[in-house]
Amino acid sequence: MAKKKMLSEKEKIMILEKEIKDRIPLSLYEELKDEVLKVDLTEDELKEVIKEVKKRYEFAIVEPGEAVGIVAAQSIGEPSTQMTMRTFHYAGVAELNVTLGLPRIIEIVDARKEPSTPMMTIYLEPEYAKDREKAKEIAKKLEMLTIGDIVERTEIDMIDSKVIFYLDKREMERREISVEDVVKKIKIKAEKEYDEDKIIVKAKEPSLRELRRVREKVLSTYIRGVKNIKRVVVRREGDEYVIYTEGSNLKDVLKMEGVDYTRTKTNDIHEIEKVFGIEAARNAIINEIIDTLEEQGLTVDIRHIMLVADMMTVDGEVKAIGRHGVSGEKASVLARAAFEITIDNLLKASVKGEVDELNGIIENVIVGKPIKLGTGMVELLMKKEYEQMRGA
Amino acid sequence: MKLTRFEKARIIGARTLQLAMGAPPLIKVSKDMKDPMQIALKEFELGVIPITVRRRLPPKKEVGELL
Repeated sequence: MAKKKMLSEKEKIMILEKEIKDRIPLSLYEELKDEVLKVDLTEDELKEVIKEVKKRYEFAIVEPGEAVGIVAAQSIGEPSTQMTMRTFHYAGVAELNVTLGLPRIIEIVDARKEPSTPMMTIYLEPEYAKDREKAKEIAKKLEMLTIGDIVERTEIDMIDSKVIFYLDKREMERREISVEDVVKKIKIKAEKEYDEDKIIVKAKEPSLRELRRVREKVLSTYIRGVKNIKRVVVRREGDEYVIYTEGSNLKDVLKMEGVDYTRTKTNDIHEIEKVFGIEAARNAIINEIIDTLEEQGLTVDIRHIMLVADMMTVDGEVKAIGRHGVSGEKASVLARAAFEITIDNLLKASVKGEVDELNGIIENVIVGKPIKLGTGMVELLMKKEYEQMRGA
Repeated sequence: MKLTRFEKARIIGARTLQLAMGAPPLIKVSKDMKDPMQIALKEFELGVIPITVRRRLPPKKEVGELL
């Protein structure tokens, strides 16, 4: 009757450690432990649970020889065709335009230097996140504002060689800027005059080119904000305020006071690589692809996407899938030639005198040898005992 | 040793070929068991096939050499 007894916490952990700890990944073990401790179990029941977990884990392991790359390609490719059919345009999220769907996926695997709609999600530290006014304060500090944004029109006066900037009063009021603030920001060494609704800057030389240069320089002067952050939207999410931005500048935003740098993110993978390193970039690729697919109501096993992200990042820098990246840098000449720009690859390889070791799959398909994949990977041997028996 | 499904296929395939070319079976074969593959499968189940596999570890690479 002892077997019917409910196990204590200590006994459970003892059994778990003995039966399964070294057989499954630590994270899975921790999860199992947490779940097991929550419920009442007898020894037999716990052993049954452990057996099932082991079974499922072993079932999920990929056998050596499995063509994981092909399976990943198909598993991502199939839902992607669904996407083309359903959408190929922009969808508004929080009043901001974000590239989604297939164009976004293409953007990620092509490792474009900048996403077509760079975006940040900025989380705030507790004391700012709960307070709408404080959140707005930070948002105001974020938004990039140049003099060009508050100037209605400009005039070039050739006679007195000066540029006149007519200010947009309403815009200035909305953004709470005074004329004095603006004038202080103009760093050009030149005579400046101003009144309520216009600023006059005199040029040193009386040439049209100089006047134009002065105008451009003044218009692109920063008044405040973080470079590249073009628009800012504050949104309530659950019990806190979150800032969404158009444009991205991870490095400078993370340095700002009140920003929770542990949760703030951007969709610019190259920027993540630069600020946090390659492992973070790998995670960013995985998350971005999963999020884009999920947004479309598609689920792809994360391992397929991890494989793609791994291929893109193994070399320590984010590389594109395709001609300019992963496929273009394959070691084998024939594999490269089989992919794209065949003649060019063969020509260049012959000029360099490259040697193909025929180690990969594609090369061996081309020359007609068995490939090292699946059953082709297996090397058969006569069993030792049998040979000894025959020899004796 | 637990064999992968590829290894299993190759071993049974190789044994089937041997039987098909006239090798003597390693088990008692009844009159109605004429298909060499059927015999090979039976032999595999009983673990009498004297074939095993060699598993190679990936070649050791120098530090810095990645692809």
